[in-house]
Amino acid sequence: MRKFNGLSVLFLAGSLLAGATVPAYAEDIIVKLWARADRSGPLRAGNIVAAAEPLNAALKAAGSDKVIKVQVHEGPATGFDADALDILKAFAVNQGPDVYVAAHEWVGEFAKAGYAMELEGFIKKHPWAFDDVIPVLWESTRYKGRIHAVPQDSEIRMFFYNKDHLRKIGKSEAFIEGLPEQVEKGQFTMQDLSALAKEVVDKGAAKIGMIHRPNAGPDYLMTFAAFGAKFMDDASGQLLLPLGPMRKGLEWYAWNANNGVTPKNNTSMTWDEIQTAFKSEQAFIFHQGVWAVGEWQLGDAKGNTWPKDAAGYFKKIGWIHAPAEVKGGQPANLSHPIVYVVNPKSKNAELAALLVAYASLPYYNTKHAATTAHTAIAWGQKSMPAYENAWYLQAATPMLARSTFLPNHPDFGRYNSVLFKALQGVETGRLTPAKAVEFLEDEMTNELKNAVKVIK
Amino acid sequence: MRPRRSLSSGARQWVDRILFLGPATLLLVLFFLLPVIVDICIAFTDMGRDLRVTGFTTEHVERIAGGDRRLPQIILITLTYVLGTLSIFNVSYGLLLALLTTALPDRVGGFFRAVWFVPRASPSVVYALLWSWVVAPTNYGLLNQVLAMFGLPGLDLKSDAPMVVVILANGFIGASFGMIIFTGAIRSIPQHLFHAARVDGAGALAITWHVTLPAIRWQISFVTIYQALSLLVSFEYIWLITNGGPFYDTTVYALYVYRRAFDNGQYAYGAALALGLVIVGIAVALTLWRFFDMKTLLQKPRIEVH
Repeated sequence: MRKFNGLSVLFLAGSLLAGATVPAYAEDIIVKLWARADRSGPLRAGNIVAAAEPLNAALKAAGSDKVIKVQVHEGPATGFDADALDILKAFAVNQGPDVYVAAHEWVGEFAKAGYAMELEGFIKKHPWAFDDVIPVLWESTRYKGRIHAVPQDSEIRMFFYNKDHLRKIGKSEAFIEGLPEQVEKGQFTMQDLSALAKEVVDKGAAKIGMIHRPNAGPDYLMTFAAFGAKFMDDASGQLLLPLGPMRKGLEWYAWNANNGVTPKNNTSMTWDEIQTAFKSEQAFIFHQGVWAVGEWQLGDAKGNTWPKDAAGYFKKIGWIHAPAEVKGGQPANLSHPIVYVVNPKSKNAELAALLVAYASLPYYNTKHAATTAHTAIAWGQKSMPAYENAWYLQAATPMLARSTFLPNHPDFGRYNSVLFKALQGVETGRLTPAKAVEFLEDEMTNELKNAVKVIK
Repeated sequence: MRPRRSLSSGARQWVDRILFLGPATLLLVLFFLLPVIVDICIAFTDMGRDLRVTGFTTEHVERIAGGDRRLPQIILITLTYVLGTLSIFNVSYGLLLALLTTALPDRVGGFFRAVWFVPRASPSVVYALLWSWVVAPTNYGLLNQVLAMFGLPGLDLKSDAPMVVVILANGFIGASFGMIIFTGAIRSIPQHLFHAARVDGAGALAITWHVTLPAIRWQISFVTIYQALSLLVSFEYIWLITNGGPFYDTTVYALYVYRRAFDNGQYAYGAALALGLVIVGIAVALTLWRFFDMKTLLQKPRIEVH
């Protein structure tokens, strides 16, 4: 025992002496990153990891002995909502990350709980990284008017339609190619879209008229938006439940389900079944986002081969917004940016924010955009060769003009899951549209209390 | 034997009790009692998605008592599911399997029992996936392929009769539990009773009715109670196969609790709903205990068997 004590004293003295004479070793700083494991965007995490390199170089050049190492946690959640709940749980037990990836509509919840750093000052301080970011994207990161996150990508949601089906039922090329413009002008309405899909099915060109996502998510919100639904009062920041437009939207879904346009069991199908139905040309219209082009529409995934070049692809497939409700009305689409959020309680918050700044540079962001078919966050990226070569992004970017975002309200996730349940209710025939509106009002007032204002 | 000096017999008894009952008691407290207590505490807080508690409230209990319009439907669905699975599969079919396989020659009977045991032995996710493929509404679904062979139109059971799918999927697993217990019980009936019955001219049905069933009465009671309780709280196969849908059609109470708590992050309301499940579980257990007179089963035997 005594001998051991003697040894440790020697060791301690030795290390103290060494510390006094040898220059300090580089200080490793671990920055914890949380990103959902998601094959539609592996570089959301990858770009932060890669950004450590220029940041470390900059730190070294500035004479700092700090070395940043990024530790990635890839959550297994099935969607951004489930992942956000997991992140909140991790924060609650002090296991939260320093920086994390989230869907923008969760910024409100995180900011309210004190887990999202207010970034106004930081962004002004680093114009080299943020000056060129597409201004409308910042809107998706505001909570109570202040920026609390950095956009990581943007995208366009749309209705994809199969032009070959229209040719089979004898539509002219002028009609087929002119459809996007008719929608843009408000001349082709939601009802026209349903009728067209029914015609395609009735004439036997496709088995399914229209098919959409099977679970709660952002897509169908643009349909309700096309019927005039506004989800939040911009002035008061309160969620809105406009019963009139909601009912019209639900009636549209009910009509589609009852007339053989949309399968009644759409919401119990798997993603694979849905995507395969569109790719194998059994479904005329598919409703989702532009990244689907990069993920499975090009080439030979999901049971069929489609052309990989712009001319070949657009000969087969066309893109439209959600058409207007009535002739002369406004079409709508939806952009659903993913964002980086910095944890203000982290002792490395500033460094984590710098990582985000580097990862937002065009060099990194374009890699993500071009490989996963997400639209860019900065205007300048459009001129980069990789982005220019991704013809589908070039084609989608003009559609951003019609984009709407989800409200950044902490309760919007719950709002949306109730709305999805109502949609499922009418589509499966469990609820009439009238009953579904009652269901919406009842569930939302019960769940969200004063956070939602019902507009009769 | 030398007298123990270190401990008085009273103290020794206590030590023995702790040694024998301690581990089990500790487990019970840690994994059964403590969660219930934690659940009760959470049920009366305002814990939301950020898991913070800022105050106490009875709001959630009140909501269960009157505000939640989904609940009556959920309870009805739960009853249909539990009673359906229990009566058709877990008890009746398990019993039928046990009676038939014990009547067969040993090897053949063993083979059939093994076949029926496969669903229980397979991982839940794999088993649920197989069911999804069987009832898939497309032409590729196994059921629809079989129907097509006979020229019949395809079915979409998951949308049109989701409860049937859920009961079948759970029942195929549940039946094996009863089967194993009943087989063991039937095997342990003294053979001379069967011989005597045959000598008296009893046929197979009469033997089953007058000899076998009375002899395995306790096992039937036990399986009924045990399986009723496990069905009440289980939802993994439902979750995997129908996800509680379409709409709320197969959302049983336990799944409803899970959805409210973990899909929506309403942890306190989920806890309050779970509390309801604890209370209902205890009530069902006590009622069935009384109904089946389980106390008699646990009495000390009055005869000594040599």
